[in-house]
Amino acid sequence: MASEAKLSHTAAMILQAIDAGLIYGFSIMEMTGLPSGTVYPAMRRLERDKLISSRWERQSIAETEQRPVRKYYKLTAAGAEALGASRNRYPLLERMIPYVEVKSL
Amino acid sequence: MTPYSEPVFHAIDRGLLCCASFLVPERQRAEWRLEWESELWHARRSKGTSGAVSWRTEREVADFCFGAFHDAACLRRLWWQNRPRFGPLHSSASQCLFWLGGLLLVSYLFSILLPGVRAEHDSSSAEVRAGTILIQDGGANSDSVPTMAVDQIRIWERSRQRYADGFAFYRVARESVELGPHAGVTWQIAQTSSNLFAVAGWSLHYMVRNDDARSDMPRLVLSERMWRQKFGANPDIVGTVLLIGSRPARIAGIAPGDAWRLPGNSDAWLLKPDSEISPNGREYVVAHLTRSGRSEMWGGLVNIASYDSRGLEHDFLGKSFEEQTPGPGNIYWFGVFLAFLALPAIASVSLAEYSFSSHKPSWIRRAVRLGFLGMKIVLIMLITYFSSVDLAYWHSPVFSHSGAYVQLFTSFAVFLFGMQWALLDQRQRCPVCLRRVTNPAQVGLASRTFLAWNGTELRNLCTCAVKRRCFSAGFSPARELVRSTR
Repeated sequence: MASEAKLSHTAAMILQAIDAGLIYGFSIMEMTGLPSGTVYPAMRRLERDKLISSRWERQSIAETEQRPVRKYYKLTAAGAEALGASRNRYPLLERMIPYVEVKSL
Repeated sequence: MTPYSEPVFHAIDRGLLCCASFLVPERQRAEWRLEWESELWHARRSKGTSGAVSWRTEREVADFCFGAFHDAACLRRLWWQNRPRFGPLHSSASQCLFWLGGLLLVSYLFSILLPGVRAEHDSSSAEVRAGTILIQDGGANSDSVPTMAVDQIRIWERSRQRYADGFAFYRVARESVELGPHAGVTWQIAQTSSNLFAVAGWSLHYMVRNDDARSDMPRLVLSERMWRQKFGANPDIVGTVLLIGSRPARIAGIAPGDAWRLPGNSDAWLLKPDSEISPNGREYVVAHLTRSGRSEMWGGLVNIASYDSRGLEHDFLGKSFEEQTPGPGNIYWFGVFLAFLALPAIASVSLAEYSFSSHKPSWIRRAVRLGFLGMKIVLIMLITYFSSVDLAYWHSPVFSHSGAYVQLFTSFAVFLFGMQWALLDQRQRCPVCLRRVTNPAQVGLASRTFLAWNGTELRNLCTCAVKRRCFSAGFSPARELVRSTR
């Protein structure tokens, strides 16, 4: 598969983090330990390749929680497929980034 | 650190994000900043709350902000890779010619509309009469100062010489000119014999009416440059009276643009009768050669020997005005010639027509292809001419040396790179339909020739000399090639 061939370890970690419920940039950074200069460009490329998609949260939610609005990312079908293939390639991926409890958006 | 320093760090972090945002393509910039400022808020919150500011925390937050530059650069790269390409607009041959024709039209319209370019065209059409020369003393190094004694020329004129049929004299001096009640300026005024313009074959623009011309007042001819600069190219100025020093002079006309060729850089010419020309002073001498005089000219120069009443020989040198300084047309052709010479250095002049290939298109296709290339070259030549003239003379009303250099450089550069584009474009087109191929394979010409030649050699080797060895272990075509060329 083309997407499998392209995915680096960093990209696989980011996909795993998003799949694990870490759905905005800074939380992915925190969990993976990667610097911001690596995480955000990698997310742009994953979005370009249609492995992830993004959307802004509702303003009302951010106002309720008294914080700025966040941009959330989620896996696309192609991203999920690519992540599945990457898990075979990097078996420790799931153990490195465990699933977290996700609040409803 | 004090709690007061927190807003300062906050401002620095936001400043970093602001700087990075300029790397982001404009359409994505606002959203990008919103996302990063939101992420910054989370970063600050996770690193520590307000009132507990530390160097370590601030350094981590700053590191986070520096990452924004990488992200912005990444977005810029992605935008650059996906930018709309100009290629499809000129993919077909007719579209390509259409765009070139459009460029030509624009450069031509500029040449019509720009007053400096129009004046340059007008002056080029009023060229100096053939055989008009400037006579200087044989030992003179330059024409920046007058070197001829008038009486010497008078002696030569009265002798039975058959070289020249008309002489005019002038000298240049700075004089004050009253342009209005309180508008005094200093001009370079040439005091000249009244036949100067007739000898050079120039007719004045906007000549004064006959009844004014018959008055006793001296006549003044304005240079085109001064006419445009000081009088706004107003033709009604002809016939009015100006004070030159303390003497009134009537403006008799405007000199043609080509009159800049006369040395002395005159702003105006004050026409005087021959009787007022001092026989002893040094003057510039303009003469018109007869047919036999022109036959003696070589390379724009003619040597003249004259003998005075004591039998002493005086050598003069006549310099043709025609060949003194080239006009825009000559400069353009010289620039194009230089570009032709330089072209092989930056572009391969081959059009990928190889004798090795047996898949040649029909001669009609080849003729169409060559015709397309020819039309591109013609259009590029015309664009080069008009664009070089536009750039060189848009601001200067008459010919100037700086303009000539600008035109030469522009002609050279536009034609050189235009030809480079034309040849590259030709190679990137399908030889049958002349459309641009979407993903042309870039093969270096040298290596392609090398491979074609080597391939031929190896095939020959294989069929005659080393056929059996081809299949033996350890055969190296490259080694065999080197061995065979030795």
